[in-house]
Amino acid sequence: MLRQPLTRALTLSSPARAAPLAARTFAGPPPPPEKFEVFIDDKPVMVVPGTTILQAAAQVGVEIPRFCYHERLAVAGNCRMCLVEVEKSPKPAAACAMPVMKGMRVKTNSDLTKKAREGVMEFLLVNHPLDCPICDQGGECDLQDQSMAFGSDRSRFTDIHFSGKRAVEDKDVGPLIKTIMTRCIHCTRCIRFASEVAGVDDFGTTGRGTDMQVGTYVEKMFLSELSGNIIDLCPVGALTSKPYSFAARPWETRRIDSVDVLDPLGSNIVVATRTNEVLRILPRTNEEINEEWLSDKSRFACDGLKRQRLVTPMMKDSSGNLAPVDWEDAMVAAARALKDCPPNKLLAVAGDLADAESLVALKDLVNRLGSENTCTEQFFPLEGAGIDFRSSYLFNTKIANIEEADLILLIGTNVRFEAPLLNARIRKAYVHKETDIAYIGPKVDLTYDYMHVGDSASVVKDLATGSSSHEVLKRLESARHPVVILGADQLKTPEGAALLAYTQELALRLQDKLEDKNWKVLNVLQRTASQTAALDIGYQPGVGKALQDGPQVVYLLGADSGVISRDQLPKDAVVIYQGHHGDVGAGMADIVLPGAAYTEKRATYVNAEGRAQQTLVAVSPPGRAREDWKIIRALSEVVGERLPYDSLDEVRDRLSQVSPALVSYGDVQDNNYFAQARALAQSLQKPVSGKLDVQLKQLEDYFMTDTISRASPTMAKCVQAVLKQKQSQY
Amino acid sequence: MSLAKYLALDKVATFFNIIRQNGGIRASLFKLYRQDELKDGVLVGEDKYGNKYFENPRYFYGRNRWVEYSPDYHMNYDGSQVSAEWFGWLHYKTDLPPQQDPGRPKYPWMAEFTENLSGTTGQYTPYSTTRPKVEAWEPKAKA
Repeated sequence: MLRQPLTRALTLSSPARAAPLAARTFAGPPPPPEKFEVFIDDKPVMVVPGTTILQAAAQVGVEIPRFCYHERLAVAGNCRMCLVEVEKSPKPAAACAMPVMKGMRVKTNSDLTKKAREGVMEFLLVNHPLDCPICDQGGECDLQDQSMAFGSDRSRFTDIHFSGKRAVEDKDVGPLIKTIMTRCIHCTRCIRFASEVAGVDDFGTTGRGTDMQVGTYVEKMFLSELSGNIIDLCPVGALTSKPYSFAARPWETRRIDSVDVLDPLGSNIVVATRTNEVLRILPRTNEEINEEWLSDKSRFACDGLKRQRLVTPMMKDSSGNLAPVDWEDAMVAAARALKDCPPNKLLAVAGDLADAESLVALKDLVNRLGSENTCTEQFFPLEGAGIDFRSSYLFNTKIANIEEADLILLIGTNVRFEAPLLNARIRKAYVHKETDIAYIGPKVDLTYDYMHVGDSASVVKDLATGSSSHEVLKRLESARHPVVILGADQLKTPEGAALLAYTQELALRLQDKLEDKNWKVLNVLQRTASQTAALDIGYQPGVGKALQDGPQVVYLLGADSGVISRDQLPKDAVVIYQGHHGDVGAGMADIVLPGAAYTEKRATYVNAEGRAQQTLVAVSPPGRAREDWKIIRALSEVVGERLPYDSLDEVRDRLSQVSPALVSYGDVQDNNYFAQARALAQSLQKPVSGKLDVQLKQLEDYFMTDTISRASPTMAKCVQAVLKQKQSQY
Repeated sequence: MSLAKYLALDKVATFFNIIRQNGGIRASLFKLYRQDELKDGVLVGEDKYGNKYFENPRYFYGRNRWVEYSPDYHMNYDGSQVSAEWFGWLHYKTDLPPQQDPGRPKYPWMAEFTENLSGTTGQYTPYSTTRPKVEAWEPKAKA
């Protein structure tokens, strides 16, 4: 099975791939090959064999211009911009594709190199429109920058017959990517990204020479959850962002580093703002989480931050309609409701996007009022070890280590839509490391081939007890670095506890046999950005039990997934909603307190791995909305149970008292106590018979999953476009 | 020079004339209070808002045409209440008052004269025509 495009398989053949697949042994990594010396501009550099000239030059800080070369994609070598002179070579060589040889002397600044670059640039510009003033890439365009740095200082282009430049018809690839194909310089980065990373082999070229075109052959939407990345990859303005088109120039925007909260991975992002408005979101490189990619929801749902916002406190008036009121009135009303409520009838529910600071403040407040009912919307079984050990609910393997895995077992999780960048990692391992994937659950398209083991929970039981006759059990047992990933959605069912117990049993049985004692097998993939922090702080997962008691006051902290509805509550129950979007929660509330969204506050989020990261303030909260922990702190004062922190630093001190992991930003701690959790789970291994189902099956399910993306017009357009594409015969 | 003029009796006569023209002592005192000025003159015309326009060439140029605002305005009169057709006569752009001037344009599309409404509830308030950056959530009204 050839998983890589032919070009890559031929150019970079590794020993593992040269050997026949059947004979492949899981021997450890080969000893590092011996380094040798090469000279870049007479600077000596020690490199390993197989390094390209371009990589060697990068090691000594010599930048070679390039268009088609991208370090995370296969080498194409077709733009010729990276031509350099190599001593004793008759012709200039393409630095991105030419491996260095011992003692090689490369000249990146010689007359020959400069002439080659100028020539290439001249050819590129002959057919590139002089669009820069109206081009969205202007200011961040590789062609613009490199023609300034490496191009000729005068033009020979005289179109005295006004025959015009080459023109290419624009393609329609969906509501996210705008194409202006005349600007395309045929670097094929988008084609390589689509086929290698996204796993959607829709892009390609037709024609050759001056007739060459990049496109999708037939008019077709780019059906991928990672499509936005080709906008970043495109070195020119051929692929630009449709929602951001003609919005701003890069030098006008302020860029604030932040963290994404729309999926459980906590991808690192840069929020570009101008005049207190989020204009776009770009990925920020973090090798341990998102590399340099970003999923479409995280990138394009930012226009949802400007719609359906709660901008003023609201209260129900005498006719039962929510009406805007002053903060003071809303606070006093909320405080009265909290004070009048018997402690055991008070319930606080945290939603998908709650940050750790407001979570801890709310829990402290509720506890001071004498109640222990603080819950999250997402369920997790409390039998056995429950949430006592962090290892039971985290992604213990860590995202980056997925690349080292040789067999990945997915149980009831459609990783592609629940955590798109984790899926991109799995696909990367699948393509480059020959990792195999087994999957238990309904058949879905994961963008790579997998062994489908079944879709019933009993398969997990058979694997755990070793009674399965499926081939995957043998493969798991012989794997050196197996990974088991359980989707947190599966734990909602009554059989969830047993399923978790079997998964723990299976994973730990495998882990105990491993040579690599540091390798973690067990993973639970959470669905939301808030769940890990909430469980760390001590929230009870799931609202089931607390709801049955008939709560009198329900405090919803951004709880919008519809787990709680008015019908389940007593008639006279008071619902206080604190959050940033008007959705399910605000719709059923008696008192609405407007909070800040993740781009508007400095807040801590813990991702599925247990890695604490913080968002920074990019824009101010709209209208009279306030930062969430401050609202709860102010409310505590009105209630008469003053919380003992007045500044963010003091809240974070409180967080570190709860768990130091919550404030060690960027780090992820190794988890332990697997054996104890397994021992406690032994009694839960009851027969299971249910079928595993996943919530997000198709691409159209992916785009709108939380309050921000539900409010986003771009995401709504995506859903429509995908549904329309499904009607098409292509 | 006659004796009467020498004794400035003509001024006294003018004084009594002014008092008489303005409707007696009480009315004159009220007019003086309202307008800070008491004059005699010929009523040239009246506009449809009730403002009366007077002329007396005995006063020097610049003060020989004036307006007495309609009693409806009481003390709240101001220059913008002079209607458009009288403005020209009052400011010496023309010597023909509107009722004697046949050449004035009159079209059906001409707007009704309005005084300056600044400071009142009818005033013009500038407003933004751009879309708000953040659209607020509108709670669903109970049916």
